Amino acid sequence: MNPILTFIVVLIGFYGLATSKNIIKSVFCVTIIESGIILLFLNLGNFQGGGIPILNGEADAIVDPLPQALMITTIVIGSTVTALSLMLCIKLFHRYGSIEWAQILRREDVE
Amino acid sequence: MISVNRILKNALKLTVLLSALGFLFVFFVISMVDLSDLYSDDGMRYFFEHGYAETGAKNLVTAILLDYRLFDSLFEAGILLVAVSGVIWISKHDLEEKNVPFMIDKHKTPDLFVTFARLVYPLLLVFGFYIIINGHLSPGGGFQGGALAATAILILYYIDTDKETNVNFIVTSEKLLYLAIIAVTSVSLITRGVLFTNFMPIDASADWKAIYLVILNLLIGLKVALGLWTIFTAFLREGR
Repeated sequence: MNPILTFIVVLIGFYGLATSKNIIKSVFCVTIIESGIILLFLNLGNFQGGGIPILNGEADAIVDPLPQALMITTIVIGSTVTALSLMLCIKLFHRYGSIEWAQILRREDVE
Repeated sequence: MISVNRILKNALKLTVLLSALGFLFVFFVISMVDLSDLYSDDGMRYFFEHGYAETGAKNLVTAILLDYRLFDSLFEAGILLVAVSGVIWISKHDLEEKNVPFMIDKHKTPDLFVTFARLVYPLLLVFGFYIIINGHLSPGGGFQGGALAATAILILYYIDTDKETNVNFIVTSEKLLYLAIIAVTSVSLITRGVLFTNFMPIDASADWKAIYLVILNLLIGLKVALGLWTIFTAFLREGR
């Protein structure tokens, strides 16, 4: 896959971050950026005809296992960051009564 | 008149945003031109030739995660621990409670779903443990199998809606498991003289080295499953 396509995924995430009016949409735009970066890294060590990085004597050449190992770290950290930010969204909703950015930035407590 | 002004303002904002994104795109493309020359496949060749003999793992991703780059994986597990603590801390309420009652409404869950969840639950649990234990031979490993086992536990919440969970016990055992992971990886300081690697001697056969991989995969899998379970209970408590 062409790396330029992964940039386009990342830029879609940036566009969503800049224009979304809802916190939860912002959180998911961050995950879209993250998946673009994961695709870019998996693309790096990949080449035509490379087998899976498991040595069972079938493939003569394998794709690079190092980016795949690094991306496991990214996926785990990304999921925890998503969980943390969604929990913050819940707390903001309890405090300000809305999940729209415009309402939250007004800083009016709801009772 | 005002609406025309607003339209113009929005158009200006959109233009600025799109031109900034276009600048980023051009910057990315220019920086990527040299990247294919930067990348070298020496590391891949080294892993291909020496990986199995040195670590005992046929799955080279596991070999890198649990042997060559174990320091990275330790901090990865640590970040999971910190994030779980953060979720628990943010979701803390004023009233102290020991057990978490259920938010899931029994009347809204379809009977068909409950029946099939009962059928699927043991299969998912066994499949998760298969992926954890077989992580050094086939695709998978501690993190992936732990996530699967956590999914099985979450299904349990739909089957038995009156169950109560002791969250403090889960959080404490997760921290203890993290300490156990550090302890297992530190044994190599005595046997090999190097911190954070396989504790078997370096000239042992691949089957002996696999013992370490299975132990570490099991510990990491249990830790990840407990961590995701804790996050889920925090969200359940929030939705009540």
